[in-house]
Amino acid sequence: MSDKNSILERLSKRDAQRLEKLQKAHKAREEVDASDENEDYFAGAFKIKSECIEDMLSQIPTMDIKVLPSHIDNIKREVNELQKYVITSSFFLKEFNMRKYLGIVQNLQTQCYELEDRYVPRKKFGFSKKKLLKSHTEKQGSFDENDGAGKTDSNKWDEKLFGFDSLENKVLSLDSDDLFQRDVALRNLKNCTIALKGVMGTLHMNNLDNCIILCGPVTSSVFVEKCTNSKIVTACQQLRMHTSSKCDIYLHVTSKGIVEDCSEIRTAPYNLYYDDLDKHFNMSSLDRNVNNWDRLDDFNWLAPDIPSPNWSVLETAKRISNWDEWWAKTPVL
Amino acid sequence: MGFLTILKKLRQKEKEMRILMLGLDNAGKTTILKRFNGEPIDTISPTLGFNIKTLEHRGYTLNIWDVGGQKSLRSYWKNYFESTDGVAWVVDSADARRLADCGRELRTLLREERLAGATLLVLANKADLPGALSLHEIREALDLDSIKTHHWRIVRCSAVTGENLLEGMDWMLDDIASRIFTLD
Repeated sequence: MSDKNSILERLSKRDAQRLEKLQKAHKAREEVDASDENEDYFAGAFKIKSECIEDMLSQIPTMDIKVLPSHIDNIKREVNELQKYVITSSFFLKEFNMRKYLGIVQNLQTQCYELEDRYVPRKKFGFSKKKLLKSHTEKQGSFDENDGAGKTDSNKWDEKLFGFDSLENKVLSLDSDDLFQRDVALRNLKNCTIALKGVMGTLHMNNLDNCIILCGPVTSSVFVEKCTNSKIVTACQQLRMHTSSKCDIYLHVTSKGIVEDCSEIRTAPYNLYYDDLDKHFNMSSLDRNVNNWDRLDDFNWLAPDIPSPNWSVLETAKRISNWDEWWAKTPVL
Repeated sequence: MGFLTILKKLRQKEKEMRILMLGLDNAGKTTILKRFNGEPIDTISPTLGFNIKTLEHRGYTLNIWDVGGQKSLRSYWKNYFESTDGVAWVVDSADARRLADCGRELRTLLREERLAGATLLVLANKADLPGALSLHEIREALDLDSIKTHHWRIVRCSAVTGENLLEGMDWMLDDIASRIFTLD
């Protein structure tokens, strides 16, 4: 009995602690320059919390089976609290530290589940759950067959594709009326110059080699996938580049551009000009004064203080400053 | 007061739901999250990692997790599965060419044991764009009708206009609420 009382006492104490901590966190959010909004304070508080959880974890093996489930529930809640604490502190934590702390939380979580598995007897409905899972996996077979069917379906949608596909050595162009807010696709092109004078909704470039793409503003995203040796002149809200290399991007991007699995990407500021460009910018509602062309995020390079080796800023001397003569000819091999 | 009573009281007071927002990159997950939260949506960058927002809606506290959809981040999705009550699967209705991809990722997700029982809301986003596929086409392409393991619904919506977002979310909340808060 006294055991139960002491647990209860400890619990309520912890509850009080947690409340206090929550209030503190609230306060911290209200006062912008609060002293506990710094990494050192956080590190200390985090350490106390995580050690407390480790303590609780270490009690599991010696605990009475009757109180064990609720004890574990408590641990889970503490872990969740801690996770929340890390998340709410994200605005002053460095990305790297943030991941470190989340890693620790994750680790505590796994430990908790492992211990639960070992020391808490399985409930009866565990069986039915297993059965359910089996029928679930059986279904996977039929799911996978459906995958094949899905592929023919996507061919059906290929007909809806708007843009250019499978061409070589051509000068291609599309104009304003056709393009307006459309989802435009350029695919499987080689040695082509593509002029897109208009406002697009989204622009997808897939598998282009040695191409020059000159385009007006794109309201949302520009996708570049599997492109090589190309020059892309584009304005957009977001740029998403995947699995591409040796491309020069003359970019106007109002939020952020990202690269993933790319190499030798060089960026320069957008410098295209054609007659209706101003009008098109207005229609796209892209902000001409905001351009983050030199601040790409690399998903394969997360160190904040060392620049990614996969992209760089193109030297001014090597930039093409005027595109007038490029519109009408195919790229030189 | 007994031990369990304390626990029960705590849980009732919380009325908390954890909602995971997933989908391919460029589906509009962050835009939807920001739209819910009444933040500006014109400066959103591709999500490097994740965003979390806690908001109050109809007396519930919603913890919405928006995890980046880039390929290199998808393998981390599983880190967020624990104790998820609902999954909002966001689809770019205008992106027909990746719909097969999208369906494949969704099916992989639904096999996940830790998501068993979670409510699934498919948000067919960007429905306002020209060239957007119809609800029927998306439903077919994702083969939603074969999903028997989760409560699901598909909703046509637009994060930019805000159309149907609340309706979809409300359905999900009701479905979750009927499941988790009556168990006590």
